[in-house]
Amino acid sequence: MRRRLLLAALAAPGAARAETPLEAQMRRMAAVRSRRSRFEEERALPELDVPIPYSGTLTWQAPDRLEKHTVSPIEERLVVAGPRLTWERPDRGQRQDFALASQPEMAALVEAVRATLAGDLATLGRHYDIRFDPEADGSWSLRLIPSSLRLRGMVQRLTLRGTGTEVLEVETQEGGGISRMRIFPLP
Amino acid sequence: MRPFLALLLLAALGGALLARHPPRADLAEFLPPGNSPASTFLFRELRSGAATTLLLAAIEGAPRAEMARLSRETAASLRTSGRFSFVGDGTLRLGEAEEAFLFRHRYLLSGETRPDAFTAEALRPRLEALLDGLRGAAAPLLARFGFADPTGAFPRLAARWLGENRLESSDGAWFTTDGSRVLLLARSAGGGLDAEAQREAMAAFREGFAAASPPPGARLLLSGPGVFAAEAAASIRADVQLASGLGASLLALFLFWRFRSAALLLLVAVPLLAGALAGYALTLLVFGTVHAVALGFGMTMLGVTVDYPILLLTLRRPGEAMEDAARRLWPTLRLAAGAAAAGLIAMLGSGLPGLAQLGSFAAAGVVTAALTTRWLLPRLAPPGFAAEPRALPASVLRPLRALQGRRTLALGAMGLAVLALLASGGPRLQRDMAALSPVPAAQQSLDAELRAVLGAPDVRALFVLGPAASEEEALRGAEALRQAAAPLLARGLLAGLDLPSDWLPSLAAQRERQASLPAPEELAEALRAASAGLPFRPTAFRRFEAAVAESRALDPITPEAFAREAPVLSARLSPLLARQEGAHWAIAPASGVSDPLALEAAAAGLGLPGVAFLDTKLEMERLLLAYGTATLGWAAAGGALVLLILGWGLGGLRPALRAAGPIGGALLLALATLALAGEALNLFHLAALLLLAGLAIDYALFLARAEMDPRTLEAVLTCVLSTLLTFGLLLVCETPVLRGIGLTVSAGVASAFLLALALLPRRAA
Repeated sequence: MRRRLLLAALAAPGAARAETPLEAQMRRMAAVRSRRSRFEEERALPELDVPIPYSGTLTWQAPDRLEKHTVSPIEERLVVAGPRLTWERPDRGQRQDFALASQPEMAALVEAVRATLAGDLATLGRHYDIRFDPEADGSWSLRLIPSSLRLRGMVQRLTLRGTGTEVLEVETQEGGGISRMRIFPLP
Repeated sequence: MRPFLALLLLAALGGALLARHPPRADLAEFLPPGNSPASTFLFRELRSGAATTLLLAAIEGAPRAEMARLSRETAASLRTSGRFSFVGDGTLRLGEAEEAFLFRHRYLLSGETRPDAFTAEALRPRLEALLDGLRGAAAPLLARFGFADPTGAFPRLAARWLGENRLESSDGAWFTTDGSRVLLLARSAGGGLDAEAQREAMAAFREGFAAASPPPGARLLLSGPGVFAAEAAASIRADVQLASGLGASLLALFLFWRFRSAALLLLVAVPLLAGALAGYALTLLVFGTVHAVALGFGMTMLGVTVDYPILLLTLRRPGEAMEDAARRLWPTLRLAAGAAAAGLIAMLGSGLPGLAQLGSFAAAGVVTAALTTRWLLPRLAPPGFAAEPRALPASVLRPLRALQGRRTLALGAMGLAVLALLASGGPRLQRDMAALSPVPAAQQSLDAELRAVLGAPDVRALFVLGPAASEEEALRGAEALRQAAAPLLARGLLAGLDLPSDWLPSLAAQRERQASLPAPEELAEALRAASAGLPFRPTAFRRFEAAVAESRALDPITPEAFAREAPVLSARLSPLLARQEGAHWAIAPASGVSDPLALEAAAAGLGLPGVAFLDTKLEMERLLLAYGTATLGWAAAGGALVLLILGWGLGGLRPALRAAGPIGGALLLALATLALAGEALNLFHLAALLLLAGLAIDYALFLARAEMDPRTLEAVLTCVLSTLLTFGLLLVCETPVLRGIGLTVSAGVASAFLLALALLPRRAA
């Protein structure tokens, strides 16, 4: 029996090291090619009396297209595809298109969600210190601390929570405030 | 043996002189100073000031990702090299410290700091915009500065400092819109005066690129004033080496073939070397330095002095002592050398440093060579020395002999030249200094292209302000100009003005801004009123209130403090503030100038002391025109002097005019050649025409000598061929100036000789 295992290990060197729970999770995430969800978000800032509520839809298309379409309190569309980011504010006819690389902080924030959905652990690891906590019931949380000092001046921590391959919540700790986005997968 | 020793002595003296005072290859020193304090300052600044520390670079010829990597890695190694005060590329961002500095001093630096900017009415829309921004996706980024700076003074400052070019920044590199190139920008840390620092900066750039291991096909293109200067200097040096080295060898080969005597070669070289030594010494004495162009071209001009020993050695009658021959030929030789030197006077009077150096070098050289030929050569020649020239082929001599006395032919050629000149409208006058630059046109257009996309100020049209006693005074002057120029901008005379005070306000302006900041209670009250009905907590703008209170007490930023605390930002400012000989100047490049003359008039009408608008191209054209006029005047004077000398030497005006006939004809033919070749006439052509006149005198005088014997034709022909050899060589030079001179003199010398021959009395049958 032992001998056989050893042989198997020799035959498949890639499998010589056991997959970590995080790697396994990322592999499962990568297998989901497209998603559509509704989101509700609340951002609380110490400077504001009341949190600002947001709602809209999120669309994911593997390998690298993420769209956040906010419909309230204002309509705003944010599309990240490959290396570029497009931002649109239809009520004012504003539109901006730029390379993510030119806005490193923005790029890092985008990758927190996009790289997670893409199961791209390498990209995620480039921007964040990662702690992954799987629970016995299949739920999990992914805690991201920005590596960049500059970004940490704005955003101190992001926490993604989910079940299976679904991301259900993104919590962002920014400045003295907290923003919490709840995600409801659509069929 | 004696000529050899003399040469050794001369060479040793020359070597010592060159070693102590090497020639300068810097093109700037060859060019004219300005004609007003402002233009003098500007030309000097453009040649050696901060503007010259700029290096523009493009990387091309590789896939997109690869170019971006090359750009990032090259920029990184430039930054660590320590040779650059500024490196701009797609990764350019303000460092934490500089950002903090800019943020802290935002209300002193921002032009928006006015009393009415902090009232409740002015703040209300700002707060609404902030709230609106917080509703959007950029909220986390906005929250960082938004509450501390609700008026948005800082992001506007930062955007202005960083975002000036029309480039797409992606993958940490600046791509041109077509994506074919990535661009970089750098300022070398050494002063522009320091040619060595410029060279090292370029080398650092190339090394950084090479260290990034570029794939095959990837290229680094460098441009900028430093690159131009280096290329011009290298090009001039190469030309000078080519012209003097190859010219001398060709000449030596020809003479050896003709005379089959090594001793003759040595003898011929003595007056040439003595002349060069005297020319160099005199120029050094008068001007303090000798420019490499003056040396190179001056040596070529002195190539004509080999005529003197050749004429002496070949016109010596069989059995005649060298000393006797020299004495017999001296009146003609003296006349020829004197007239040639007189013709060079126009160069001295032109006022152009380069031409004046050339004139003094050549005039001193010609006179010294003639004196050496008369007094030194007979003593140096070995006793009984006789150099029998190889007979020239009859096929060459026969048609030349047949040409003698064909006046109609000569007059016909001159008539044709006049016709050609009339038909072509005469040679164009060259008014563009760039055309004189030895920097290839491709390099010049690359520079213009890179400047346009990088937003690097093209320093063609600009306001100059000074001299001022201090930087503060210069900055205040710039602020006054900002106000005064507003109507000019409104009239569309210019589209934009880049003033140093826009980047760093004067201390006075900063204090004025501080005074216009509200007191804490006042601001608190305004904020309360402005945020009525908005969901901001009372404490929301605590950081803003603290910053305004702090700003009221900050020390205003001096230029020194700015350079120390914000080196990246200073790199943008420093080219706009200059210091020359203890005086301070402000420079303000103007963009979108369509009618420089109108703007110049309008700027003069502003009534601001020390402010002048200069269009460098226009200014240079005016200068060249002024120098051209001066040179023409001196040329006329030189011509009159030559006639006078000839009249004195030949005993009357009529023989003088007869001798001058071929000279005038040669000038006409040379001009016609230039016109037909499409060469635009510049000052150097004028100078070459003068030189040509001096040469033509030799031929006319010697050919016309009464005791003309068959040997004279061959002797003069030898001289003509020597001249053609050396000046024809200039035609392959890179430096347009040298090429133009080569063409002028070669065409002129050939026609002078043929005309002089044809205008002689017909030979007795």
